[in-house]
Amino acid sequence: MKKFLTLALALVLVIGCVANASALTIGFSQVGQESDWRTANTDSLKAMAEKEGWTMVYDDAQQKQENQVKALRNFITQGVDYILFTGVVTTGWDEVLKEVNEAEIPLLLIDRMPDCMDSIDYVGAFGGDFIEEGRRMARWTVNYFNTTEDVNVVILEGTTGAAAATDRTTGINEILAAHPNFKVIASQTGNFTRAEGQAVMESFLKAHDKIDVLLAENDDMALGAIDAIKAAGKVPGKDIIIVGCDSVKAAFDAIVAGDMNATIECNPLYGDAVAELIKKLEAGEPGTRELLHPAEGVFCAEGGIAYDEAGELLSVKAADVIAERKY
Amino acid sequence: MKKSKESIFKNKLAWAVVAELLILLVAGILEPNFFHIEYNATTGMFYGSLIDIVNRSAEITIIAMGMTMVIALGGTDISVGALVAVAGAFALKLLRWDVTMYPTPGDYTVKPFILVILVPLLICTAMGLFNGVLIGKFKLQPIIATLILMVAGRGIAQIATNGKQFTTGYTPFRFIGQGSLFGLPFPIIVTIVVCASVMIFVRKTAFGTFVESVGVNPNASRVTGLKSDKIIMIVYTLTGFLSGIAGLIYSSRISSCDSNNAGVNYEMDAILAVVLGGTSMTGGKFSLTGTIIGSLIIRTITTLVYYFGITSESIMAFKAVIILIVIVIQSEPVGKWLATRQARRQKVGELRG
Repeated sequence: MKKFLTLALALVLVIGCVANASALTIGFSQVGQESDWRTANTDSLKAMAEKEGWTMVYDDAQQKQENQVKALRNFITQGVDYILFTGVVTTGWDEVLKEVNEAEIPLLLIDRMPDCMDSIDYVGAFGGDFIEEGRRMARWTVNYFNTTEDVNVVILEGTTGAAAATDRTTGINEILAAHPNFKVIASQTGNFTRAEGQAVMESFLKAHDKIDVLLAENDDMALGAIDAIKAAGKVPGKDIIIVGCDSVKAAFDAIVAGDMNATIECNPLYGDAVAELIKKLEAGEPGTRELLHPAEGVFCAEGGIAYDEAGELLSVKAADVIAERKY
Repeated sequence: MKKSKESIFKNKLAWAVVAELLILLVAGILEPNFFHIEYNATTGMFYGSLIDIVNRSAEITIIAMGMTMVIALGGTDISVGALVAVAGAFALKLLRWDVTMYPTPGDYTVKPFILVILVPLLICTAMGLFNGVLIGKFKLQPIIATLILMVAGRGIAQIATNGKQFTTGYTPFRFIGQGSLFGLPFPIIVTIVVCASVMIFVRKTAFGTFVESVGVNPNASRVTGLKSDKIIMIVYTLTGFLSGIAGLIYSSRISSCDSNNAGVNYEMDAILAVVLGGTSMTGGKFSLTGTIIGSLIIRTITTLVYYFGITSESIMAFKAVIILIVIVIQSEPVGKWLATRQARRQKVGELRG
């Protein structure tokens, strides 16, 4: 019975290999489910494989590093053609990623970069450009006000120490430094959560009489702050201009409702960019060690406000695209 | 006369009050505006940092009412934070969107509002009972028994909402955390009602004495005829129920459920509130009034940090230093030392006089 099973399995594998001679097998080790953003990220990459006719071996690590290590070793044993990898933590990957290198399987890093990335081989790395997102928040604000009068800015920072938080803060300050009439009068962490964003904004409103604009390093904190502003008897979106980051669905709803002004996109839909790179690699082109960013936009109530250095890229009216949003 | 003076230094509740007043005093000297309270006609609420402190301490105060008795029994309940997430998740699951306000397409059902309140509270009460049975009947160590729901609770909350974060615009639900009554934010009213009810239940019946007795010596209490397992079950069930109320307030404040972040570290804050209030971790005597003060101290520190714009990097260290000072002053050796010093001075004074 066992022999027969083995034989049957071998047969299936052989047939499978013949049938898919041209198709690629891609192993994808994902951290697990944690947010709508993550779900959209996973779905995008799965959809890519389906669209291209590639086989995807997906592994959900349920937020555990040991599960990911196991998954990566399984991918090596299975001899997949490519490995997509998002690490749940940044450290402790040296050994298993070296094994991937030794097995000569091309490695693509997605979203979160491991600390050891400089010492391993990979053919592509896809992640958000957090500094640019911060710059865009500030540029949009400067262009929206388009004034030489003093503008009082408050910032809700993300979780202290998180790359998304430090880099966005860097980007914001870099642009605002060039526009001295925009004064940052308060900057405090809201830990990327609605509740803390709300509590911190509540205190900002008491400590400062005149706040013109709120830059929140993610949409959740902005959404929390909206209620704090309402509780202070002010009108969010009018008395205080609110700019968020990430472009989640709830932020679009708030912009359309007039409670919020703009949101800078942090795109989880890596599918197209990854597919493009894999096709290039298949055609014999070399990989890149440069961090690649997916296309990202800016969405606001009226649209048409520039957010890049040259002033060429214009924001999109949120109400026009709300129906197409996937996360 | 002499006796009462001595007891002030050994009275932890008095020290908690002094600590709170000192923190406020420092804040007031640095920025007199901190005490400014005005009536805001647009929102129909009094408005000011002091109101914020009381308002934002609501969740921890409510949970800590139960936690005080849990600790008086010599136990701990580390599942309360997860239960906050559970309550929010189920409330939003039943509520989803207000279809009349947000005509978003999709499967949005609005259940009768009373269910939105009752179901999460029932689930949390049942989870509290689960803790109580494990600890009271199966004699599991409280920290282990409540660890189960601390881990599983967030999982249940995630499953209930499919890992999604629903947002609601439903006014009656938002009222719980954002509405006002008699010019005060509604969470303050809820806190007053909860604290008064618990205090009456505990102090006007013999229940409080039972809890203290079981906390000091469960075996002796059983021998004298107290059903200690039942008392343990009631206390943990009550804590579960109170966590549910806190969960509703939390999710109503943000008009949404946040299974990952709701109630994170609430168990630690609640335990800290109890300890700051003068209840000993070893069990026995407890003070509900002290716990309320303890909770206010924690929130005052947080509000100060936000108000005075202390940098994000140093928040943790700043909080830790203040709490360290308060706890050290409250500790027994320091209390004794101060009391003997006082007595000695008095003696010297008498001799001189």
